Amino acid sequence: MNATTTTTTPALELTGIDMHYGYVRALDSIDFHVGQGEVVGLLGDNGAGKSTLLKIMSGAHRPSAGTVRVHGDEVELHSPSAATHAGIQMVYQDLALVDALDIATNLNIGREILRPGIFGLLGFVDHKAQRKRSEAELDKLGVRTAAMTRPVEMLSGGQRQVVALARSATRVSGEQNGILLLDEPTAALGYEQTQVVQALVRRMADQGIAIVLVTHNLALANAVCDRMVVLNRGRKVADVVTAETDNDHLVGWITGARASMFE
Amino acid sequence: MTSPAQAGGAATPGTPGAAASSTPPTTPGPAVAPAKDSAGVRGLIFLRDRGIFVLWVLLIAVFAVWANPYFATLNNAILIANAAAISAIFAAGVAVGIICGALDLSIPGVAALSSCVAGWMITNGLPVWLALVVGIVLGALVGLVNGLISLRGFNPIIVTIAMLSITSAAAAIVAGGYTFPGLTQLDFMGTQRYLGIPAPVWITAGVFLVGTVFLTKTRDGIRLMAVGGSAEAVRRSGIHSDRYKVFAFVISSTCAGLGGLVTTATVTEANPSASPGLIFTALTAVALAGVSLVGGRGSLPRVLVGALVLATISNGLTIVGVQPYWATGVTGALLIGSLTLERWVTTSVSRRLMATAQASVHTGTR
Ligand SMILES: Nc1ncnc2c1ncn2[C@@H]1O[C@H](COP(=O)(O)OP(=O)(O)OP(=O)(O)O)[C@@H](O)[C@H]1O
Ligand SMILES: [Mg+2]
Repeated sequence: MNATTTTTTPALELTGIDMHYGYVRALDSIDFHVGQGEVVGLLGDNGAGKSTLLKIMSGAHRPSAGTVRVHGDEVELHSPSAATHAGIQMVYQDLALVDALDIATNLNIGREILRPGIFGLLGFVDHKAQRKRSEAELDKLGVRTAAMTRPVEMLSGGQRQVVALARSATRVSGEQNGILLLDEPTAALGYEQTQVVQALVRRMADQGIAIVLVTHNLALANAVCDRMVVLNRGRKVADVVTAETDNDHLVGWITGARASMFE
Repeated sequence: MTSPAQAGGAATPGTPGAAASSTPPTTPGPAVAPAKDSAGVRGLIFLRDRGIFVLWVLLIAVFAVWANPYFATLNNAILIANAAAISAIFAAGVAVGIICGALDLSIPGVAALSSCVAGWMITNGLPVWLALVVGIVLGALVGLVNGLISLRGFNPIIVTIAMLSITSAAAAIVAGGYTFPGLTQLDFMGTQRYLGIPAPVWITAGVFLVGTVFLTKTRDGIRLMAVGGSAEAVRRSGIHSDRYKVFAFVISSTCAGLGGLVTTATVTEANPSASPGLIFTALTAVALAGVSLVGGRGSLPRVLVGALVLATISNGLTIVGVQPYWATGVTGALLIGSLTLERWVTTSVSRRLMATAQASVHTGTR
């Protein structure tokens, strides 16, 4: 899979990204790319600039300099909705699910299926069709959660995370395969639930979704990432294929004890 | 890119119960076996969602015995329904506001204003239908203003308190310090009965039917509830959540206008004095119905039963000759009781679910 993704146009490509917060230089000419079906881990110590880079990809921040390309075309991500429009979805640490509503409604909000005929014109939602579509979509992702009619508030932490991921995944896997940005998706989860999310991330990548994963968890990164990019104080210090590196190297780059690959 | 597990999924039937297993998610096979909740959990959820209905039935049973033979009659049932009708309309307005995350305190003022403007129009010989339309539209407009101001980042409680003052002042100005008495033209929606049932009961039934269908079956209604639950979730789905907030204010205020008109019709008089007590009765019914003040949850049928519970208590206690202030006290106790129940059910449900439920994802080929 890696052989094919590296030769084709990256799903998302950033070149020469600079980002200043006032006098703080949070990012210093970063080049970054992720291919379809590829999971790229974004590692780095606190304050290294991971979230900032992710926010630029999601349209929440505009870079001070640099270009962003989606499937080869240069785009201006001037707002989160512009990013959504370009097929980029961000999953935030706070999941932003609607607790009192059921899983199906949460998965379908914003892209509801209306009933046919006069009821549809009146804005009536076809709950049954929505449940069916969501079941099929989760099925495709290989996800089992709970009954579609279960309110989200009655799910465990892992299940909620899965629903939030699935919501984003179903929104980017339309006609053109999208890009999913995950910021610490397992920070609040226990071992078993982390396994579940890990498997889901892999599944989504196998379906062609490009995934950028910010994490502090090296075990998770090793398990799901095809490639890892390490940031140190706003600079990219490493960009390595997971199979060709080890934890010692990674920790060295993260802490700054090891010299940058690019100097 | 298709994994074997996925390809085989369509052919093999789902294994029920597998979803609840907590083994590591390595078993290949089909996904989405809709999990069945245990009987205990379902019982608890029933208690939480339908508890108010159970309470009402219990109350009816108690009074049927205690106030025998005067309580359990058709006539008394109609009396109770009629007594609950108007407060239920206001409660519907309050509930929709709260569900979408906006408590509208201007309701009594809007009711007085709509009522006085309609009263003024009818007294001055304008057509009744026009007076009613103007009364309702006025309500909607006040809601629109409330909503648009609140969107500017002002606290909705303060905004609507201000609007309460403004609308009651406007009502008093329209009425010129008096009332508009003798509005018998409105009898058709006040004291008139249809099929033996008073007009306000029909109107209330209509409001709740439309409201319930709207909130549970239509796209805008569902989004409105979602905005109350998590505006962020809705925003991230690419929807302008603000629109729905304003919409909730409009609905709330429209209900207030309608409630004011129905009140006017029943007492055949338009009164400019806004009674703040009205909002507390409505809030009590709403809270009894388990509508969380944080927003995002609640159901109109429960709110209706909440209003009926209040009317039943005061009716029953009056029949057995208990002083009315007892009814107030009983209501307060019930309210605290219902909060306790809700808290207990929610925590025990989530504890049980935590113990059994696990999400699982197939690892596929990797
Ligand atoms: N809004 C802001 N204004 C000013 N400085 C900021 C802002 N956001 C981030 N920074 C600075 O930019 C740098 C990078 O921060 P960023 O949040 O991207 O780090 P991170 O790698 O996500 O760290 P963590 O692992 O702690 O989440 C830090 O020095 C931080 O102090
Ligand atoms: Mg961060």
